Amino acid sequence: MQNTDAFVALIKENQGLIYKVTKLYTNSKEDAEDLYQDIVYQLWKSLGTFRNESKISTWIYRIALNASITHLRKEKRKGSQLAVTEELLNKEDTKDNLQEEQFETMYAYLKKLNEVEKGIIFLYLEGKSYDEIAAITGFTASNVGTRLSRIKQKISADIKK
Amino acid sequence: MKTLWAEMSAAVEKQKKITDSIIIKMTRSNYRNKINKIRVPEFIGSFLCMAGAALIVFNFRQLTTWYLAACGIVACLVLVLLSFLSVMAIRSLQRINITDNNYRESLLAYAKGRLQFVRIQKINFCLAALLMVTILPVIGELINGQDVFKKPGVWLWYAVLFPFFYWVSAWVLHKYLKIINDAETILKELGNDG
Repeated sequence: MQNTDAFVALIKENQGLIYKVTKLYTNSKEDAEDLYQDIVYQLWKSLGTFRNESKISTWIYRIALNASITHLRKEKRKGSQLAVTEELLNKEDTKDNLQEEQFETMYAYLKKLNEVEKGIIFLYLEGKSYDEIAAITGFTASNVGTRLSRIKQKISADIKK
Repeated sequence: MKTLWAEMSAAVEKQKKITDSIIIKMTRSNYRNKINKIRVPEFIGSFLCMAGAALIVFNFRQLTTWYLAACGIVACLVLVLLSFLSVMAIRSLQRINITDNNYRESLLAYAKGRLQFVRIQKINFCLAALLMVTILPVIGELINGQDVFKKPGVWLWYAVLFPFFYWVSAWVLHKYLKIINDAETILKELGNDG
């Protein structure tokens, strides 16, 4: 029997992270709800396998990103998910419309990247070090650096268009 | 962009609203969704194919001419193969080990799974065309007791159905092109370096 209270606390603590991943990897509210649930479910299912060899945050990022990959291949679900839209997917608490627009524009640029690039830039933006990104993604730290500079160039070129 | 991301993260943190009961519900309902989503269509598809094959086997004696018997055998084999392939197609998409894989391994498994899925779907289409040719005389004999090869109008059916089938196949295969391209892009990206 897993510790439900500890799990609930873990999800509450990391709900912002889950929200950001779902928004980055989906294009509709329905898909986002679906992925959000999937990540929570996968975390629940995998909780027993977590060994204290890595940080819990590293483990959560890994599961969340892996769940996002598996989500890419699924067809859209047909209304069987929980009706929790309002609770789960409220927009960011923005200061004004301009800020909200800036966030949306940023996501739009990030969503244009391919799946390899998306995962790496997400972790970078989350403030992870090259070593942490390497631990989560399986690339070497030097490779992460190379890829990041390529991604930055790609985004810059896209913004200048 | 990093500053903007930090601002967005702060805004998201302010908005935390999820409740304990919703989290607990999510650990339960998602499991049920998965069963509905993947297992049921897989099961229904395979069951229908196997039921069709069984129907032909149990009524094989009614296929009295050599050509009807040949159609029956081919249709039966195709139905069994289709049943097997529908399970294979689903399994090719289920190989990602979310718990143990890192992101790179998951992407590799995902891209390879997609390519395998498309390969299987292409085989499915060829088999479906073969099934269409062979099942019509078998059904005609088993359900109506008529040898369609002796009826002049039957070729009209083929004449109508084949262009339609060709059009559907071309449309579906075109749709798969994007999947193939995306998967190959990922494999190429991952193959560049560690």
